[in-house]
Amino acid sequence: MKNIAVPILVVLILIVMALYLVAFQVRETESAFITRFGKPVREITRPGLYFKWPTPIERVHTFDSRMRVLEAEIGETTTKGAVPMIVNTYIVWRIAEPLQFLNAVGTVQKAENKLISQINDTQNRVIGRHSFGEFVNSDPNKIRFEEIQAEMLVDFKAPVRDAYGIEVKTLGIKQLKISKDVSKDVFERMRAERKRRTEATIAQGNAEATKVRTDADAKKAELLATAEARAKAIQGQGDAEAAQYYQMLEEDPEFAIFLRNLEALKKTLSERSTLLIPADTEPFKYLKDIPSLEPKQ
Amino acid sequence: MAEENIQEETRQSQPVKPQDTASEGLDAAGKSLSEALRISFIILKVIMIVLVIAFLASGFRTVGPDEMALVLRFGKIQGVTEQRVLGPGPHWVLPYPIDEVVKIPVEQKINLPIDSFWYYQTRDDILGETAKRRTRIPENLDPVRDGYCLTRSESSSQAPITSGRSGPKVRVKVTYNKGDVEVSYRRFSRSNSQGEKMQGQEGSDYNIVHSKWQLTYQINDIELFFKNVYVQDVKPGQIYSEVMQQSITPLLKSVFEDAVVDAMVYYTVDEAIKSEDRIPQHVHRLVQRKLDEIGSGIRVESVYLTDVTWPRQVNEAFLASIRASQESQKAISEARTYAENTLNEAAGPIAQQLCASLHDDGITEEQKELLWSQVAGEAQKIIANSRAYRTKVVEAAKANADYFQRMLPEYRKRPRLVVQKLYQDAIEHVLENADEKFIIQPTEGTKGRELRILLNRDPLLKQKSASGGR
Repeated sequence: MKNIAVPILVVLILIVMALYLVAFQVRETESAFITRFGKPVREITRPGLYFKWPTPIERVHTFDSRMRVLEAEIGETTTKGAVPMIVNTYIVWRIAEPLQFLNAVGTVQKAENKLISQINDTQNRVIGRHSFGEFVNSDPNKIRFEEIQAEMLVDFKAPVRDAYGIEVKTLGIKQLKISKDVSKDVFERMRAERKRRTEATIAQGNAEATKVRTDADAKKAELLATAEARAKAIQGQGDAEAAQYYQMLEEDPEFAIFLRNLEALKKTLSERSTLLIPADTEPFKYLKDIPSLEPKQ
Repeated sequence: MAEENIQEETRQSQPVKPQDTASEGLDAAGKSLSEALRISFIILKVIMIVLVIAFLASGFRTVGPDEMALVLRFGKIQGVTEQRVLGPGPHWVLPYPIDEVVKIPVEQKINLPIDSFWYYQTRDDILGETAKRRTRIPENLDPVRDGYCLTRSESSSQAPITSGRSGPKVRVKVTYNKGDVEVSYRRFSRSNSQGEKMQGQEGSDYNIVHSKWQLTYQINDIELFFKNVYVQDVKPGQIYSEVMQQSITPLLKSVFEDAVVDAMVYYTVDEAIKSEDRIPQHVHRLVQRKLDEIGSGIRVESVYLTDVTWPRQVNEAFLASIRASQESQKAISEARTYAENTLNEAAGPIAQQLCASLHDDGITEEQKELLWSQVAGEAQKIIANSRAYRTKVVEAAKANADYFQRMLPEYRKRPRLVVQKLYQDAIEHVLENADEKFIIQPTEGTKGRELRILLNRDPLLKQKSASGGR
């Protein structure tokens, strides 16, 4: 019994040591390949536990296969129609085929240098095929900005994969600018546009205000005219009603007119009047003579 | 694991027993040696047990409350679907080198301010601005230093009408109660001549706008994130979440800037300055789409347009434009006030309704009457006056008629006396009220006499006209 335990232990230790020599892990974030005496034999892109011959025979090379971002330097290019434009392009890439990658570029640093010059090429080629109006346009339906970026990605993706074993996940333009001199012109135009707009605003405002005022005045006039008309109608009714009473006067028109005249006399001479009266009118004739009155039998 | 345990135990206990049985036949020196050996074996045994326990205990990991974790067995993510992710709390995994636990903060919402679309400011500029010192504004923008977005200019169909110099002057006659008034203004025309000369290309007008943004993001799929997104190795003394943020910032920044540039070309400078919600929403959509496309496992929580402005170089023009629109708004609101007051004075609160009823054939007479019964103001005065007139006229006629009816029987009985009486009363009434009376002897014969009277100017009348004229 006890003699068995020792060998078991020894075997176990040996197994563990052997495992350390021949086994290796590839993590989820990595890809690897194995060289036998310097000659590549296997490429591993799936994670897990793998075996190989001990080190002098086979070697493992692992690469980080996660996405990296790379931005090219901001640079000037020209669109179709020779309009200068300044763009800054970035890509998101990862090592997809470690073997190809190692053969073509070797290190991330070198890969980035190559990629940058490739980006510039693609940028010039694709942007040169499109006019400025497809980047920015007053008509949104004519803007092809996203399509242009997609076109750049297509132009870029396949050659890079073939040449360097690099997968380009995405590509985009992160700055879209114009040269110094052009910016000056743009400001000039923006000012002119504002000025035009300012004038238009003022003119519109004034026109609107004038319209509101004249409208109100017109409405007022209309209302008052209608009110006058209604007033006339009411007055007419009054006159008509009054006329009904005149029938009652028909019994003795002369007397009625006499009464009416007296009334008018009282009314018109009621205030601030100066009268010149001949001395032979009714009450004043007594100022001259005494009347000869005799009682009637 | 249990097997391994037992093996460790047996390995320690086996060698001790033979020592015990062999010791009996030895001398004192040998005895003490075997004693020492025995003790050292016991110590070794204890150490071994402790080591095994420590080895097993090293499999314990605690996942923090704001974290999620993945278990890598030989580098491969362990488990299926939901079991792949460990939630907060203590967990036990196989010790190194078999299992590895990767903890990633997921609850944490991380803010990332993006200033790369703002104009270049030196430290002095920033300080100078806070100190209200005027900084010199360069007349152009340096594409390397200054950040900005290009925005589209308004398309001609959306452009507001602008007063063109070529527009003929139009006279419009407006007729209202105070006679004809001529209102003249320039006919507005849409002219875009300024813009067309710029690039010689139709519709490629654009504007420049500066903006500042804030992106808030969160890691929502830790598996995708761990597999795909490059995070630097954490060196001793560094905190994982900080290293992670540093590592993913360039990626997020690039993707975000791309989205902003893409989105902004679809908006005009005015839409941008109004900070309309749809612009950040548009950017949000684009960023999320791209992050999903590359399988980053990052979720954009929110996108804010924190600051936006027109270029400083055209500040004057923009301010003038804003002032103009404020002023024209003011003019319009003043005009509205005037209109309201005018109508109110004319017919009171229901003026508008009345006006509408004038031209509406669908309104019945009763409804019209109802409206007019509520009228106020000047129109009401006119109507009230007419009513008063009507009453007066009718009442006067009635009074006359009554009077006549009452006097008529008397008159028929004694015509001469009644006439005389009435006449005398009237004369008396008139004379009583007269201010001055002159009784003149009538002339006889053909030759007239001249009579001159100096009439006193009526002091009462004078007073009245003086006070009434004011």
